[in-house]
Amino acid sequence: MKVRNNINYTHSLFILLGGVILLFLIAPLAGMFLSVKAPELFATLEDREVSESIFRTLAISALATGVAAIFALPLSYILARKRFPLKGLLEAIIDLPVMIPHSAAGIALLGFISRDSALGSLASSFGLNLVGSNTAIAMAMAFVSLPFLINSAKDGFVAVPARLEQAAETLGASKFRVFTQISMPLAKRSIVSGLLLMFARGMSEFGAVVIVAYHPMTTPVLIFDRFNSFGLSYARPVAVIFVSVTLILFILLRIYQKRRC
Amino acid sequence: MLKIENLVYSVGDFKLGPVSFSIEKGDYLALFGPSGAGKSLLLELIAGLRFPETGTLCIDSKEYVNIGAQHRPVGMLFQDYALFPHLNVFENIAYSLKLKKQSKDVIEVRVKELAEYFSIGNLLTREIEGLSGGEKQRVALARAIAYDPLVLLLDEPLSALDDDLREEAIETLAMLKRTGQTIIHVTHNRNEVGALATKNLYMLKGLVL
Repeated sequence: MKVRNNINYTHSLFILLGGVILLFLIAPLAGMFLSVKAPELFATLEDREVSESIFRTLAISALATGVAAIFALPLSYILARKRFPLKGLLEAIIDLPVMIPHSAAGIALLGFISRDSALGSLASSFGLNLVGSNTAIAMAMAFVSLPFLINSAKDGFVAVPARLEQAAETLGASKFRVFTQISMPLAKRSIVSGLLLMFARGMSEFGAVVIVAYHPMTTPVLIFDRFNSFGLSYARPVAVIFVSVTLILFILLRIYQKRRC
Repeated sequence: MLKIENLVYSVGDFKLGPVSFSIEKGDYLALFGPSGAGKSLLLELIAGLRFPETGTLCIDSKEYVNIGAQHRPVGMLFQDYALFPHLNVFENIAYSLKLKKQSKDVIEVRVKELAEYFSIGNLLTREIEGLSGGEKQRVALARAIAYDPLVLLLDEPLSALDDDLREEAIETLAMLKRTGQTIIHVTHNRNEVGALATKNLYMLKGLVL
């Protein structure tokens, strides 16, 4: 009986502590939603600059995620299946964008794509200026969000028994078919999770994006721009709309994911 | 039919070989020995999942020692059956036939033929997760022989089964033997293949004695 009471006390304490954290997460967002007045919200909804920035942000992040996945998934697979020298160092490098300040990531990326750099001058020779372009935004989004996809997919591949891949090989599957028909489908849940995380992290990125491309404006940059130029009440409706769009999008994606998996 | 000569393979501190033996078409070779003797490793070398440092491996007079599993005429039944959990029973059995780009009709006929042979016709639309150990074994056997491999490797095929299912599984293997299928059966328990084997080899510390 005593033990039972003890468990109840422990669980009650955990619920209380967890509740504080939940409140901490919900309260600022709820406060932001409640403080926006309907006329301001409708006016912002009709603002083409806002709708265009939201569309741009979502489209670039989705594209960056899709393109990066072509390179990231094979890397995740190799990390999951192979042992090689300096693997730990490579994994630490992959995690680096999560740890460094994103403004620093932006500065690093700016140096990488500016006209003085090899990549920037190559782009210039084709008449392209990477700095301040949609490509720069995509690169900044991908740079800071790639670790989420690589690590999540890697965990998914690690969980696929190597025996199943060997069985497929003995049945006549090439290594590539083993990857596409056995490993990928079995790691699908982790891969989709990683893609969603990368997409979400990319579209919400501000620090790196603002350095490589203030214009064209993504929504996080637009929110900052309006806050900086006109103040909180002007920035808040944009933030509310962007958070609402992303919430709806993620709820729909999660429902879709649950149905498919 | 299958001829192995001076096969040597090392992994960590363990050294397998040199191993030499041969079997004829229709033979049922029982390869037994204690755990850690290198039996499963030898099977993986025959299947092409690992490559030996030295030695030769011929099947029907063709050298396969440097050819990967994908291109070897060798089927394998894994200890845990290694059925694909994201495919149903039909899709598991049909997997190798689809890879060989057989037509839908041919695949359907072959899978149904195998299903009838192994008495799993009623399971074809079932998911792998809900199958019993005995059912899994029969599905895995059907999958392994679907594309008519010249040699079938069985890695401890009875170890995952309860005693009451074991008799039934031995009968399934006997049925397979009667078809003339060449089989190498790895086990740590000599008694379980006593009546089936036409040839016995004992392995200890990486060597065939």
